[in-house]
Amino acid sequence: MADDMGQVPEVQAPATASGSKYAWPAERRVLGTEVRRVDGPAKARGAAKYTYDINRPGLLHGLILRSPHAHARVRSIDLSAAAAAPGVRATLVIAEPGAKVMYQGDEVAALAATSEDTARDALRAIKVDYEVLPHLATVEQAMRPEAPVVFEGGNTRTSDVQEEGDLEAGFAAATHVVEGLYSTQVQTHVCLETHGCVCEWDGDRLTAWVSTQAVHGTREGFAQSLGIPQSNVRVICEYMGGGFGSKFGPDAQGLACARLAKAANAPVKLMLDRKDEHLAGGNRPSAYARIRAGAAADGALTAFDAQTWGTGGAGQGAGFPLPYIYVFPNRRVVHTDVYTNAGPQRAMRAPGHPQGCFITEVLMDEIADRVRMDPVAFRLKNLPAEAPNAMWRRYFEMAAAQFGWSRRHATGDVTPGPIKRGFGCAANRWGGGGRGTRAQCEILPDGSVVMRSGTQDLGVGTKTLMAIITAETLGLPVDAVRVELGDSNYPFSGGSGGSTTAPSVSPAIRVTASKALEALAARIAPGLGVAPESIVARDGRVRSTASPSTSLTWREACQRLGTEPVSVDGEWEAGLSASGTSGVQMAEVEVDIETGITRVTRVLCVQDCGLIVNRMAAESQCLGGIIGGIGFALFEHRLLDPNTAQMVNPNMEWYLVPGLSDIPDIQVTLVDQPGRGVIGIGEPPAISTAAAVANAVANAIGARVRSLPITPDRVLAALRTDRAGGTE
Amino acid sequence: MASHEPPRPGARPPDAEPLPEGESRLDFSRRNFLKTVGVGPLAASVVAARTADAQAVANPVGPAAVPIELTINGHRHALSVEPRVTLLDAIRDRLDLTGQKRVCDRGACGACTMLVDGRTIYACSMLAIEAQGADIRTVEGLTNGTVLHPVQEAFCEHDGLMCGFCTPGFVMATVALLEANPTPTADEARRALDGNICRCGTYKGVLEAALTAKGVRRG
Ligand code: FES
Ligand code: FES
Repeated sequence: MADDMGQVPEVQAPATASGSKYAWPAERRVLGTEVRRVDGPAKARGAAKYTYDINRPGLLHGLILRSPHAHARVRSIDLSAAAAAPGVRATLVIAEPGAKVMYQGDEVAALAATSEDTARDALRAIKVDYEVLPHLATVEQAMRPEAPVVFEGGNTRTSDVQEEGDLEAGFAAATHVVEGLYSTQVQTHVCLETHGCVCEWDGDRLTAWVSTQAVHGTREGFAQSLGIPQSNVRVICEYMGGGFGSKFGPDAQGLACARLAKAANAPVKLMLDRKDEHLAGGNRPSAYARIRAGAAADGALTAFDAQTWGTGGAGQGAGFPLPYIYVFPNRRVVHTDVYTNAGPQRAMRAPGHPQGCFITEVLMDEIADRVRMDPVAFRLKNLPAEAPNAMWRRYFEMAAAQFGWSRRHATGDVTPGPIKRGFGCAANRWGGGGRGTRAQCEILPDGSVVMRSGTQDLGVGTKTLMAIITAETLGLPVDAVRVELGDSNYPFSGGSGGSTTAPSVSPAIRVTASKALEALAARIAPGLGVAPESIVARDGRVRSTASPSTSLTWREACQRLGTEPVSVDGEWEAGLSASGTSGVQMAEVEVDIETGITRVTRVLCVQDCGLIVNRMAAESQCLGGIIGGIGFALFEHRLLDPNTAQMVNPNMEWYLVPGLSDIPDIQVTLVDQPGRGVIGIGEPPAISTAAAVANAVANAIGARVRSLPITPDRVLAALRTDRAGGTE
Repeated sequence: MASHEPPRPGARPPDAEPLPEGESRLDFSRRNFLKTVGVGPLAASVVAARTADAQAVANPVGPAAVPIELTINGHRHALSVEPRVTLLDAIRDRLDLTGQKRVCDRGACGACTMLVDGRTIYACSMLAIEAQGADIRTVEGLTNGTVLHPVQEAFCEHDGLMCGFCTPGFVMATVALLEANPTPTADEARRALDGNICRCGTYKGVLEAALTAKGVRRG
């Protein structure tokens, strides 16, 4: 998941596969078109079986007892009453006496019973005696010099100073200096399908249906933690209801589920409930930055000095790239991870980047206002050099033209009435890349085709991507290909995180399908009296380029296999995919200065995605990222009570994610760079929306909200206290 | 919509339903209101707004399992559930009809949306025993053989689904909307579907699907 934290991305050369015999075809029939999801009908019919939907004969329901305290030591734990409760088949202690729980929702014990309701009843019968210990609910509490030391080695950990250039000279060269404190909140993933699994043992062999972004990684996790060979574990995840970075291994609930199933000698389903999910399923850490930055009179950035901190909860870091994208020749950053008694962070869609982007892009607008430059012109002046993966200059210009940026007014909408409108912009970058996927392709004598890989489809359209590439390669329609994925019994593929799936899977499918076609050609060429190399597959037919009269339907060609199908393995190879992408977004908002309510009315996104596999799915990825970004900008906020460190809104009526009425008009422009091969774009579109919205709000109201989310109270407070300088 | 009827337990908030004639609507939706103002547990109050069901008071049932009969997608099912079991859990766990999902379990996301006597309800917030005698419809009942219902077809066509976990709920809410109002305006569709949440962000496709699905018959 980790992306480089450096300021200027590594320049990636375009994929250079033109020499490979598996290179992407220059003329593409299916690739890059709009293809409906192959599993759309199953999902729309409610027939797709998610982990949560797996019902097994004799299935028991598992539940986890979680700590109500933010920090405590378990003195004693008594499961006897629970074990004797009606319907209970197995119990498990997770936090042994003496162990500490470090956040509300930390796992303490688990049990399995014949129904969820009986399990819940029994959970109440577990007696735990806690010694409640002092806790830290906020970064401010944890950073106080007199704070109790809650974490071994201290409540904070400060990194080495990152410094480049000559900061003093940079400030000496600055005509304008801007100082400010910027921050972003803790956001939770809110996967609609919560974390969880169904575990079933057959002797010492475990089958686990897991809602996971990594079937092979989860197999390894189960095997290691349970002390059984990986060959004894099968992990299945054909459908999953979202992960966004939070679902990579069996986790505590998976291991508890496996142990309960073993003890009860029956299959167990253990899914987190919504509250557990918010508390323990992961989150995006908070970010804070106190920054002093300078620019010369002509708008050239000269200096950047930042102290940053944030919390990833109990014992977890909270790093983010800063400054983001723009070139500050002289800079210094000192970062401190702050530990608090809250659920630990996990990777979340573009880890670190929305935070770094918001902080930098808001600062950029503040400096632009001070220099009295248009924000786009100011950015163009301070961008790093162009490269295939760093095309912001071009994208800003494209976006500005499409968006009508020239209609942007100077900061502070002076039109009468309470509704103020404004424009904002922000850029993004992401690394991604991916390698290592393997696949298997079968061509059966009746003409049917199966493509298999042990990757998983998080909802991004991986199954459809595999079908498209196979169909393109074999000259078949997409629906002629059956795709199987989401099973650790299939050939190895890595976890789906960091926009690595498409660049890892696509080349493997291309290579494997090509090899299958070669094998088919080798088998049928002698009978046709042509050289195998002369055989091509196109438009549902198999032809020989050497003999125009040789032309069979796909099915006729496959019938020549007799009874023995073609079955080949293939794997990822370099040159068909790349890492590194760049993009730009612009937003328009309406802010009601009487109520403080912000509405996003328009978002435009220009996103590079290399060679597009499925235009429809790529666009949906961008839409999804932007909508997530609107949630981050305006609504989402994990609120902890500062006194108790209990989450105040562990549900979906107080933890707010965008609904249909919050969705603006969104325009997506995908920039096709086919020469670069396939590039994943799960993360990048999620990065810049909040920053663009924040800048649009400032442009509208002439005051700056420097903290996310931009709630009405913050808008009203900014209006009262913080009038920004205008560009007039 | 018969607005004089008290809301059923689990009934979705009124803004999820087409507007009764002559009634005006506030200019913001329930979700917007909650989000932007940050107050007002409206969903909870709807759930709490129980009708005084004289029968239930006179003949208390439970806590042990009781036999009930549910009519789902036109088929009768006899099952035995504790009175506390929700309609959603009864159907998912006991009848293995797993299309409708449980996501929030408290009337805030719409993933469990079913149609009960033609009206959308949050099946996580209605008890199974209360649904006896009603005509219950789930996503599984829409498909005629392998031919998709026009709403399902439209969701596929406009990519109104990604992970698909919210989809059955959206599909049912859209069916309810179009059965009552086959040609909704964008605003009407937005209001009708505002009780549903999609985390993958498929709203644009969902709205297009709701506005273009053709051939849904009035329910
Ligand atoms: S699960 Fe019923 S409304 Fe969310
Ligand atoms: S498609 Fe994933 S939650 Fe809606």
